[in-house]
Amino acid sequence: MHIQDGVLSPVVCAATGAIALGAVSYSVHRLKQSVGDRTIPLTGMMAALVFAGQMVNFPIGAPVSGHLLGGVLAATVVGPWAGCVAMTLVLFVQWAMFSDGGLFSLGANVLHMAVIGSWGGHAVRMFVQRFIGDSRKGIVIGSVVAAWASVMAAAALFCLEFRLSWPPSEIDFSKVFTLMVSFHSLIGLGEALITGVAISFVLNQRPELICRTDNPVRLKNRTDRIVRPTVASITSTLVAGLVVALAIAAFLSPFASSFDDGLETALSQIGITDFNLTGRVPGLLEDYDKVPVPVAAWQTLAVSIAGIGGTLAVFALAWLLGRALPAATQNLNSEATGE
Amino acid sequence: MSDYLDRFGRGQSMCHRWPPLAKLLSAIAMILAATCVPIAHPLIGIVACVIFFAHTLARIPLAYVARRLLFFWPPLFLMAISLPLSQSGQTGWLLFATILVRGTLSFSTALWLVNVMPFDQLLATLRRLRVPDVLLAILSLMYRFLFVLWDELDRMRTARAARLFRKPSLWATWRSAAHLLGRLLIRALDRADRIHGAMLARGWDGRSRWIEQPREDRP
Repeated sequence: MHIQDGVLSPVVCAATGAIALGAVSYSVHRLKQSVGDRTIPLTGMMAALVFAGQMVNFPIGAPVSGHLLGGVLAATVVGPWAGCVAMTLVLFVQWAMFSDGGLFSLGANVLHMAVIGSWGGHAVRMFVQRFIGDSRKGIVIGSVVAAWASVMAAAALFCLEFRLSWPPSEIDFSKVFTLMVSFHSLIGLGEALITGVAISFVLNQRPELICRTDNPVRLKNRTDRIVRPTVASITSTLVAGLVVALAIAAFLSPFASSFDDGLETALSQIGITDFNLTGRVPGLLEDYDKVPVPVAAWQTLAVSIAGIGGTLAVFALAWLLGRALPAATQNLNSEATGE
Repeated sequence: MSDYLDRFGRGQSMCHRWPPLAKLLSAIAMILAATCVPIAHPLIGIVACVIFFAHTLARIPLAYVARRLLFFWPPLFLMAISLPLSQSGQTGWLLFATILVRGTLSFSTALWLVNVMPFDQLLATLRRLRVPDVLLAILSLMYRFLFVLWDELDRMRTARAARLFRKPSLWATWRSAAHLLGRLLIRALDRADRIHGAMLARGWDGRSRWIEQPREDRP
């Protein structure tokens, strides 16, 4: 999932870095506003937890295994602001200690996994919960949908950044996007499944740990109102809409070839074409002209299947997890507030 | 696990004795050079030589670097190979080579930085660069908790392995892994609660304080 240095062009890295810096600064600002003496240890623990949680393997095939990404999980437990900060620090430490991801692409990684994961995931979950309610079922279904949508939105954003990074003339981006989207719809399903099962497990064992809409997070019997998420409902709806739109755009991106001309002129106006690759690889590679292109023929079909199948699978997953929860779901709202 | 991270960070080579800020800045400069120079340009070879030279100066064993690269390449390769596979013509292969070379160079630079700069030095440097105190406090706590949680995770994995007598189905594996994750979450938050209590008992008031000069004489 991590974007390495060298994948995106310097200008795109600078732009994503600036956006990510703004978003993280705002999160820190909100976190400071709500700062209490327990915010810092709690956020630190959440960051360490996401880091450690990414080491739990989820086997897929023999050599391949997936793992949690954690943005939605962090936002669900400590709220969007602390979640965003925690995810940012996870990504930073992964670079600074594992050299995982890149320094200049850190901005893009933070934007994809911390900002979209936590802010976007939280907004989508709130949006879903508005329809289903604040029950356990609402939280689980909301976080499943949020996990899937945030991964797809990140994929769409990556396609856009990648498109802006490389000279637009000679590359057929739609095929690259087809691969990206098909791949990420699988990652998204995995993330949705892991997040859903983990959250429903915590809800069954210790429901008071999960961050709700209108109640402060309480650990043990404390009731200090520190990590309470206070996204105004309109902002939350807007962000949720944006994330969902991006997720949908992910499936449309391979088809959007008519968009190219406008983008190209825009690019040349800003002067991004300067980053053209100079020099040519000599004759050795000429033969590869005839490499068969397995993806091309299946492109439309593959994206359609990935899109429709993925969407159906997420809804089935959400429904199944919702069903699997104990039927005697007491109204947690009254339980949480009625002290 | 702990010796897997910044394993050579306490070395005494020339690179280790540089001022921390100089290490950070030179690493940033090298990554910048590696990602901005066009791949066909001869300068890229010089950048590669400089990075290699830095590794030898810091006395980081080449076997270690090679092992890390071995784990680093497959994902990058997968990502890069999608370009030539989906294009016809040599542009795709050129992009493929660009991504691989730039990725490898910046990865080795980051690896060098990790191994000449221990985490406390990095924190002190970030503090000099005026990164907000809240972030640094969270970061330093996260670094402490990380090892504790890894040990916790190890114990839980051992316990799970000890209770598994046959190979479970894929769904069962996923379920148990997700439950492991949930259990880890509960334990971690409980631990955060206890730690918070202990911090309060030692006078924690929500503000972080730092020792001005990090000690140089740590083993």
